[in-house]
Parts: sequence; structure tokens; C-alpha cells
Amino acid sequence: MLARIAHELYWIGRQLSRAEHTARMLDGVFHADVQGGRDDDGVRLSWDALLAIMGAERPDHAPTRDEVVQRLTLDRTNPASVASYVTQAREGARTVRDVFSAEMWEAINTFHLGLLRRDNSAALRTGPYSVYAFVKERCGLFWGVTGRTMLRDEAHAFLQAGARIEAADMVLRMLRVALPGEDDGDHHAHDGQALALLQAVGGFQAFRRAVPAPPNARPVGRFLLYERAYPDSVAASVEALHGALSEADPNYRNSAPVLRLGRLQADLDFRSRALDGDAGGVTQMLGQVQHELAQVDADIAQRYFGGASPPVPRLATL
Amino acid sequence: MPDGYDEVFAEPGRPREHAVALAAALAELGPDALSNAGRMRDSIFMQQGITFDAGGPDADGPVRDRPFPLDLIPRIIPAAEWTDIKRGLAQRIRALNAFVDDVYHAREIVHAGIVPWELIVSRSAFARAAHGIRPPGGVYCHVSGCDLVRDADGSWKVLEDNVRTPSGISYVLENRVAMTRVLPGLFSSYRVRPVDHYPALLRGALTEVAPTTADEDATVVVWTPGPFNSAYFEHAFLARQMGVELVEASDLVVRDATCYIRTTNGLQRVHAIYRRIDDAFMDPLEFRPDSLLGVPGLMRAYRAGTVAIVNAVGTGVADDKAVYPHVPEMIRFYLNEEPILQNVQTYLMADADERHAALARLGELVVKPVDESGGKGVFIGPTASDQQIAIQADEIRRRPERWIAQELVRLSTCPTASPEGELVARHVDLRPFAVFGEDIHIVPGGLTRVALREGSMIVNSSQGGGSKDTWVLEDDAGETTRAAAPAAAWSPPELPGLRQGGEWSGQQQQQQQT
Repeated sequence: MLARIAHELYWIGRQLSRAEHTARMLDGVFHADVQGGRDDDGVRLSWDALLAIMGAERPDHAPTRDEVVQRLTLDRTNPASVASYVTQAREGARTVRDVFSAEMWEAINTFHLGLLRRDNSAALRTGPYSVYAFVKERCGLFWGVTGRTMLRDEAHAFLQAGARIEAADMVLRMLRVALPGEDDGDHHAHDGQALALLQAVGGFQAFRRAVPAPPNARPVGRFLLYERAYPDSVAASVEALHGALSEADPNYRNSAPVLRLGRLQADLDFRSRALDGDAGGVTQMLGQVQHELAQVDADIAQRYFGGASPPVPRLATL
Repeated sequence: MPDGYDEVFAEPGRPREHAVALAAALAELGPDALSNAGRMRDSIFMQQGITFDAGGPDADGPVRDRPFPLDLIPRIIPAAEWTDIKRGLAQRIRALNAFVDDVYHAREIVHAGIVPWELIVSRSAFARAAHGIRPPGGVYCHVSGCDLVRDADGSWKVLEDNVRTPSGISYVLENRVAMTRVLPGLFSSYRVRPVDHYPALLRGALTEVAPTTADEDATVVVWTPGPFNSAYFEHAFLARQMGVELVEASDLVVRDATCYIRTTNGLQRVHAIYRRIDDAFMDPLEFRPDSLLGVPGLMRAYRAGTVAIVNAVGTGVADDKAVYPHVPEMIRFYLNEEPILQNVQTYLMADADERHAALARLGELVVKPVDESGGKGVFIGPTASDQQIAIQADEIRRRPERWIAQELVRLSTCPTASPEGELVARHVDLRPFAVFGEDIHIVPGGLTRVALREGSMIVNSSQGGGSKDTWVLEDDAGETTRAAAPAAAWSPPELPGLRQGGEWSGQQQQQQQT
């Protein structure tokens, strides 16, 4: 297929996935922040942290709730807001309408139009839950319709690849900012804190069913990094990304991104199973996986989109 | 209500210190916004299936699938007051637990002449089958929910104990979630202690009491009578939140003296059962032989100590309404402490002197049947007609042991939103929930139930009552400054910049340059 179209599809996937993760994180932090007693110790998931996760410049004062919610949700002057991502994805979708099914286009277009409605900003001020529920619902609708109506061809594979690399990246960013470092010493995380982390990805019940441990920072971190059975974990996303690229590439045995992902997948598996007692490794592992995925992203650009991505800086800790 | 205690207003128009911000926020919101928020709450509850069925006496037939009636005005408990309640409850639960242990073992309290043995054995909840069984850690009342009320003078009193299968905790959690979604603005001036760790507490307690060997993970289940039970929503909620299986009797099986669940991989050993079913229905071999909800042989496994049952069998003897008047004595006897929370003055109708005194002034008292729950059969003297009083007096004379009489407590009131969004004073009570594993943990707040009819003091949801989100405040006002300090000192780890989608044309140019 055309490299331009593949590139567009890859980014539509990334943008929609990022919009959904951002909305879920905002919703999770909002819910935790409304109540008190959250920031005594353990996991850092605050408005401040959210800005760091989303790569925004930190203001010199502690950001207020309204400020962050406005900026990351509906602010169209900020390219890193939910509304901007959805609009960008919709603009991209206009150029790939020949490979999208009509229902997919409609899903993404009504999503965009729904966020333009004027009453959203009022809803955001009084209770943003309804706005985030709308975003989650529309993302679910888009991916559901895609699964039901889109031909499983290269186009589908690139769309999926974009969605999964973004999902892995967002979860990694969140964990890197929110999890306490190993050198913080003894961290008996407040239970509520790590609950917020799970709620910020929508994984609370999955965690409860999969892990008998209480939802403290460490088991939650391991779960979101290693648990392949949970669809939004980093390991599951890496696996799906590997699968998508293998499908898209007729010569996948020689494909640098596929080979790299194969190694990463094996490495994640090895660490989660064979080095079970290696509890100290999670924080360091997060940085390494994120670096590897940046390499994969560059490899993808190189191999499929004609070599256009900034070089990945070397990881200092490697 | 001039002669009662109001939770928000010290006198009309002047809010109590802790409620000033709430009253201001409500005034700013206005009735229209409040009634809009009410509609949003109803639609959220309907979407999420948080509904209840009821067949009240006034309803035209049974009511099905109504959104759970959450009132949007929260009830606030200041930190200092909560500390007292918590200490009082923990003390009371320890005493009740010691009482259950005593009743089924040494019976010291009987020998000391404090509680008569005839009273204990005649309770319907007294379980002969539990005699001599001591569960791990000596804990019987793992889960409890005592009903507290605030009297006209502002003091807290215990109205009823509940150490069988108290329900309502799911509404505490769901109410909080709904409030943060529907009216987050109300929270802005307060730091409210979270409640959502309850499932973790309960699961922790269940794991602690499970008789496992060292390298074994405990299998914990929630046992429900089935989807037709009125509290099924809560059973499913707890199982989901704890991440454990929700089982019915047909899923459980006892082989020899071990309890198993039937799974797709064959039988799997069960270590702890959180049962939401009455003693009488648990094991047809030991209790009611006609029970279809029970598991034959379960008591055998329980007696052998291979499975923990939570709450333990036979705890109902401690929360019986006829045992209730003895609880302050129990606290003194077992703990050698003075009760922190007082009882409501109660008269046993089985006692001839107390009966005569009570019959003479029945119009001022509340009369309750000892073996009912959920507000059924409660007689309230001041609102009864002469004829009703006469009928009730006859009932008491006919079977005095079935009844107790209590002084009327003027339940405190709390502003409550009417469907039009106006604030009206309605009576409330409070049911805090405690979990007793290795230690007693009490979830901040609990379920505040509110009587939605003017002047009514019946708060049960089956009788047209509603509920309120209950806020326990953080320790002091200095809290916010303490929280802000570390945030400023903290710097996030170095993250790569978030990539935005590159322009395709830009990519082409780059490509040509290489």
C-alpha cells in the first residue's frame, strides 16, 4: 500500500489511542483528587504529574485542577489536548476514506463533532465525568466498528500498530512519572493511591481478578508492565504491535522493527517469569522499554514511511 | 425542627462551623442546578444498573428497577467527632465478639449473673451447632454495621447492632463515585477521607482468617443466596471489587471435611467464605432441613477448621434486640472499660415490671419485634392512633417475649434536596461498616440513611428511605498546605517529548535531503 496512507493510518491509531488514555487519566486523577487524603505517600498521580506525563511544560506555580482539565481536554490551541488529538485523527481519516469503512468514518466524524458541541465546556466545569465518558464511549465505538467492518489488510495492521505503540507508550509514561523510584526507600504505598493508577487506565477489575495482592504501587506496576492477559498492559501492547507489523510486512523476518519487538517481547516475558524475585527492576525496566519502543518507532518510520523521524537519543542508563 | 438536632444548621440560617462552606456552595448552586444534577444522577444509576426493588406499604404494587435514591446533599462528620465514634464502635464490636465467644464456650457472663442463660438459648439466632467452635484468631464478627443515631442533644447513640450480614456498603462506595461525578464542586472546600479501600480491607481480613498452609494462596468466595435476593447487587459488587468468585449453593460441595467449588478444572479447595446467607439456611444437615440454599456438610468442614465462614456461625445471638440492653454491661465485663457510645433506653417486655411501666405510656415509646429487621413491624407511639395503641398493647400482653420497647429518639435532621431542588430537613441515621481481621478497621463514614417523607423517622430503603454520601473530614485545616509542599519539591523523571504526528510533506523533504 502507499507509504503515505500507511503513515496516516499509523498516526490515526496513535492519536485516538492517546486521546482515550488522556481522557481516562484525567478522569482517574479527577476522581482521586476530588476526595482528600491521596497524596501522603506512594504513587504520584496529581495534576502536576499529568502535565509531566503529557509532555507539557510545567508552569512555575502548582497547577490547579481547572487549569489542567481545561488545557488537556478541550483546549484546541494546545496540540496535546483530547480535542486536538481527535480533530487531527479526523483530519487524517479524511485522507484515508478509501480504506476506511463508511461506519468507521462516521464514528470518527461524529466523535469530532460531538467534542465541538458548545455545552461541553460547561459540562467540563461542573463535572467532567460526562465528557470523559463520551470520549471513552466513542473510542470504544470506533474500535468496535473497525473490528467488525474493516478488511484485515495492511491498512488495518498499520492502524492497529499505531494504536498499540501509543498505548504502550502512554502506560509507560504514566508509570514512570507516577511510580515511586526504587531509591525512595521504603514505600508502603497508600492503597487508594495505586487504585487511582488502575482507575486511570480502566484496569481495576482486571487487576482484582488477576492478582491476589492488595493494589499497592509495586504489584500494580508489575501488572501494568508485564501482565499479558490484560489488554492495556505494556506486554500485551508490545505483543499486539509485533503481530500487526508481522502481518503488514511480507518480509517480516528481515524487518528491523519486527525483530526488535520480538526481542523486547521475549525480554518482558523472561523478566516477568524467570526473574520473579527481581522486584527492584521495574522502574529501570520502564525506562528501557520506553527507549526500545522509541527505537521501534524510528525503525517503523525508516522501513515503511521512507525514513523520516528524528534520531532517538541514547538512553543514559544503558 | 426546633426541638431536634440539625447536622448542618446550628439554628435556622446559621450553619455549623464545618458546614459553612457546604451551605455557601449549595446556596450558589441553587435549586435548578440541584434538580438537574438529580436527573443526571438518576440516569447514571440507571445506566450502571444501581437500582433497587421495593414493595412499600404505600406503593401500588411492588416497585422495580428504581434508581437508588441518593440524596445529593452530603452529610459531614468532623474529624474529632469521627474519632470518638470510631473508638466507641471498635470497643462495642470487641465486646460483642467476646460475648459470642463466651456464649459458645465458657459462658462466664452467665455464671457472673449478667445475662440470663434462658434469654440466650431462647434467641432464634442461638446456634447449638456452633458450640465449642473457635475460628482462627477468635474472631466471629468479621463484618459489622451498627446503626447509630444522633439524639436531640447532639450525642451519638447505638440504635441497633448488626453482626450477621449487614448490607449497604456497596451503596457507600457507589454514592461516593456518583457524588464525585455529579457534583464535584461541593468537594472543593473539603478534604474528604476516601472509602474505596473497603473491598481491599475485606479481602485482607478474609485472607487473614483463611486456614491456609504456608505456600498456598487462599481461595476466597462470596456466597449469595442468588439473583432474587434483594441485596444481590451488593453481593455481586463485593465479589467484583474483591476479584473473587460469586458462588451459589450449587457451586459449593463438601467432600469428607473439606469444602470445594466446582470449576471447569474440577474441584478447587475453598479456604474462606464470605456468606450473605442466614445461619438457618447454610447447612440442611444441621439447621433447617428444608433449605434448598444450603450446602450439606458445610458445618462438618467448618468444625474441622478447613474453611473459615465469615461472619462465623451463631453471631446473631449478639445482635438480637433482646440482648441489646445488656451490651453496656458486656463492655464493662469483658473489656473492663466504660462504654463510649450509649444505648437507647430499652425495656424488655418479657420483664413484668418493665412491661407494666411501658404499657402505661405506650403512646410515648417505640415498640419493636425482636426477630425482625428492615423496619418491619415497628410501632411508633407518638404517631399511632388510640386504636393502634390498644392493638399493640394486646400483642405485647399476648407474647411479651417477642417485643422490646424503647424511648423515642428524635433522630437528627439534615438538609435534603426535594425533587424540585429545595432544601428541606429530613431525619437521618448512620450505619458505619467495620471489618475485623487481625485488627478492627472502620471505613470513614458509612451509610447515612434518610427518611424522605417529612417528619418520618423510618429510614429503611424498603420503606421509602434514601441515602446520603457521608463525608468524614481530614484531621485539620493545615492538611492542604502539607500536601502542596512535596509537590513543589518533586521533579518528574526525564521523559522523551511526546511525538505529534509528523506532516507527510515534511517527511518527503527530509527524505530528499538524505
